[in-house]
Amino acid sequence: MNVEQQVPRNALIWMILSLFALILPHIERVPLWVIAVYVVAAVWRIQVFRGLWAYPRRWLKLVLILAASGGVFFSFGSVLGLEPTVALLLTAFALKMIELSSRKDAYVLIFLGYFVCITEFLFSQDILIVGYSLFTVLLLTTALVALHQPGQQRFNRGSMKLAGTMLLQAFPLMLVLFFLFPRIGPLWTVPIKSHTAKTGMSDLLKPGDVSKLSQSAEVAFRVQFDGEIPAFSDLYWRGLVMSRLEEGAWRSLRYWDVPAAERRMPELDAVGEPLSYAVIMEPTQQNWLFSLRYSQPASDGLLMLADYRLYSPIQIEHETQYRVQSWPQTPLDPELSAWRRETELALPAGDNPRTRELARSLRAASVSDADFVDRVLGYFTQQGFVYTLEPPLLGDDDPMDDFLFDSLRGFCEHYAYAFVMMMREAGVPARIVAGYMGGEINPVNRTVIVHQFDAHAWAEVWLAEQGWVRVDPTAAVAPDRIEWGLEQAVEGEGTFLSASPLSPLRYRDIDWVNALRLRYDALTYRWQAWVTGFNQEQQFDLLSRWLGEVSPQRFVTVLLLTWAAVLVPVAAVLLLRRRRHQLSPADKHYLAFCERMARMGVVREPWESPADFAQRAMRKLPRYRQEIEAITEAYQDLTYRPAPAPSSSGETLASLRRSVRKLQFVR
Amino acid sequence: MVSGWQTLKTATRTRFRAWLDRRIPPARSVTLDQKRIFIFPSRVGFFFFACLLLMLLTAINYESNLSFGLTFLLTTLFIVAVLHTYANLSGMTVHGVRAQSVFPGQQAEFELLLERGKRRDHYALHVAWENSDDALVNIVEQDTQTVRLHIRAGERGWFNPGRLLIETSYPLGLLRCWTWVALDLNALVYPRPLACPAPAGISASAADGTAVMGEGSDDFYGFRDYRSGDSLRQVYWKGLARGQALQSKQYAAYADRCVWLDWEQFEGVGIEQRLSQLCFWVLELEGGGEEYGLRIPGATVSPGRGEKQRDDALRALALYGQGDTA
Repeated sequence: MNVEQQVPRNALIWMILSLFALILPHIERVPLWVIAVYVVAAVWRIQVFRGLWAYPRRWLKLVLILAASGGVFFSFGSVLGLEPTVALLLTAFALKMIELSSRKDAYVLIFLGYFVCITEFLFSQDILIVGYSLFTVLLLTTALVALHQPGQQRFNRGSMKLAGTMLLQAFPLMLVLFFLFPRIGPLWTVPIKSHTAKTGMSDLLKPGDVSKLSQSAEVAFRVQFDGEIPAFSDLYWRGLVMSRLEEGAWRSLRYWDVPAAERRMPELDAVGEPLSYAVIMEPTQQNWLFSLRYSQPASDGLLMLADYRLYSPIQIEHETQYRVQSWPQTPLDPELSAWRRETELALPAGDNPRTRELARSLRAASVSDADFVDRVLGYFTQQGFVYTLEPPLLGDDDPMDDFLFDSLRGFCEHYAYAFVMMMREAGVPARIVAGYMGGEINPVNRTVIVHQFDAHAWAEVWLAEQGWVRVDPTAAVAPDRIEWGLEQAVEGEGTFLSASPLSPLRYRDIDWVNALRLRYDALTYRWQAWVTGFNQEQQFDLLSRWLGEVSPQRFVTVLLLTWAAVLVPVAAVLLLRRRRHQLSPADKHYLAFCERMARMGVVREPWESPADFAQRAMRKLPRYRQEIEAITEAYQDLTYRPAPAPSSSGETLASLRRSVRKLQFVR
Repeated sequence: MVSGWQTLKTATRTRFRAWLDRRIPPARSVTLDQKRIFIFPSRVGFFFFACLLLMLLTAINYESNLSFGLTFLLTTLFIVAVLHTYANLSGMTVHGVRAQSVFPGQQAEFELLLERGKRRDHYALHVAWENSDDALVNIVEQDTQTVRLHIRAGERGWFNPGRLLIETSYPLGLLRCWTWVALDLNALVYPRPLACPAPAGISASAADGTAVMGEGSDDFYGFRDYRSGDSLRQVYWKGLARGQALQSKQYAAYADRCVWLDWEQFEGVGIEQRLSQLCFWVLELEGGGEEYGLRIPGATVSPGRGEKQRDDALRALALYGQGDTA
């Protein structure tokens, strides 16, 4: 094979390094056998490199490819979808590695590697993952550089320097392109992540669900208020409004549950000053969005439903950013339609007889609906109910009877469930609202971080002239939960995040850990706001602010100007900086000699060759005949003899230096 | 149609060469600058574009900003690579050092010296003529690098191998940067030796070679016993001092048995054939260690022997009628 087409060993080593770097972030979503293929591929290639094994034969390659495709099919049940595609790409990368022999294979391998890096971003957009992917890109680029450095038969870390320099030079250009490139919607539908679980609050609430969710320290969303952050006890993030109880579980009304006339959110007269804020949600694979009471979205493409919540027509698969304005004091539904009244009173007949009995007796003792609400809350307070993250399991037939009269231990959903049930039984329209309550205020950037353990369920009761009023039965049992949050509410129990011993949230009392965690979270917010959540809207805002108007001419001008601003210095560094004449050591010594001669009165003319100059100098300064001769000879030897052996040239140089020195000190 | 296409192709090539000659005139040493360097995406570069397009489609369809970012990073890496690839070739100087003289059909060796441009490193330079073997050169550790390329020589006279291609795709292989250098470096091609019977003049004097003794000659020949009448200057005093018999140093001159190869001796054949036959006899006489001279119209090589004599004679033959005796 032509030497130019060979893969230098150095490049091979960089490629094997990239091979393993690529699979690392994917390791939890590929089957185990893919990792085995990786190890085999690397070992095989190294053995080929050592001359011990042969390249695979054609039939073997065919068998391997078929086996890999079959393996992906059996592991995932399909070859379509994102995970099988990634597994297939990674396997292809490993198999290509085995047969890597010529440069052409290496190009395919490296470009495939770049593509695998791209797929990683479809799963995670975490800032650390991005940093890692950049490192992988650096490894791949280094392999590409090493591929073009012939004769590098040893591992050479220097190749990385050039690759790194080039990537750094490309980075600012990339940023410009990133912010300028028009974001258009998807061109066609693409396979989505098939195995990703829906996370966060679900639209089916059974006793025990929220307490399970509250074991998680994951972030649900982050909120940045334009003005002051409201009081902690006002941070009720509404996500789902559950009006229907079916088979022991609450759920929200679906689109087709609602008659057409009732589907739109009624226009209300907003009361008070609005709160403006931006929310960045972590992907949930579900449609509901979280906001404070009575909100109007300021972003496009979000729906407002009749029970005053925001809804995204597409599932939240990526971190999603939206802006909202809320007027929390606004009364909701001052008038209740007949259909709505009927819906919010509906109860399946027959179960939980003791609970119903209790409701009826309490209502009979009350003077009004509002008084009834207070009595029920008072019941929770007086009967010694316990707020716990580890509620006992309840029976399927009469769960609320079990809870109210037997266990007396529950999490927020138990209280909300029992409360709403009793309200409805007594003829007061009521519903469960599920979402999050509270949040952690990050002092670094004043965002409110809402974690999964802030998940909460409460109730809304419709009272005449007041509309829907928020009632949180949990507050009657565990006021700490509403004032301080879950951690304080269950402090005595020691159950907070007991399932995630490594979560940094558990070490909040260690100052530096907490400071680090909050800084990282602030960075993540900024990252999500500006990079991963960057969308058409933001782009338009940004560009109109920067460019004054958004037009193709402006785009091109800005692109060219900024690129020139980067590329011209780069070109100057590449082409000009090293042009400064760097003298060889021999030249340097010889020039020192000429200078010395000039001081002695013999000036070398520009056209004079060293030999001619030596002749003239020796005639004028016969005293130094020997030195002049030695210097000239050594210099000529060093300069004009083609490629002298390194050792002898070193000696000659040393003797030249000595002679010149000697001459400098003679008087 | 085919011939029309061929004509067009030839005409285009001719015009390209003419344009190239104006743009990059031949010289003994050529420093590569922007006037001489061409750059264009390589085949791998186009493959890379295809991959980028695929990545862009992925980014658009998944609306993934980070995928956009990585796609753009690789795109701009390509842009930066333009500068790096260009810098890898530019500033370098090519010197034509020496070309070996050969007989027609032999591989002539051309020696080139590639010199780095002011401390800059040049990697993976691919150097070749259209029909020559090629070389892959790094100029990293040393300031210069000698390259020897071999190319089959044509017919008698000066042979110029045409334009030298120097190309590189370092550092990423996505771009091809190249130049066509016309070096003022020619190989001398001798006539093709053609055996023929010895012409009259050669055989007659070839047997001659007897030394003719005589005084006044410069060449020392040997010693003989002193005879009365020998000049005192001839006496070998040193020998006498060592106690040897009295001896005289003897000097001699050879008879003029030099062979003249003359244009006129090879009558009745065409010019090229005549030159070929002369060439044959130059080699023949040189092989026999004889002294010879050469007389052809426009050039005379005075008698002599040895390698230089042979080269002079062959050079005269090679350049016959070339109008250039340089």
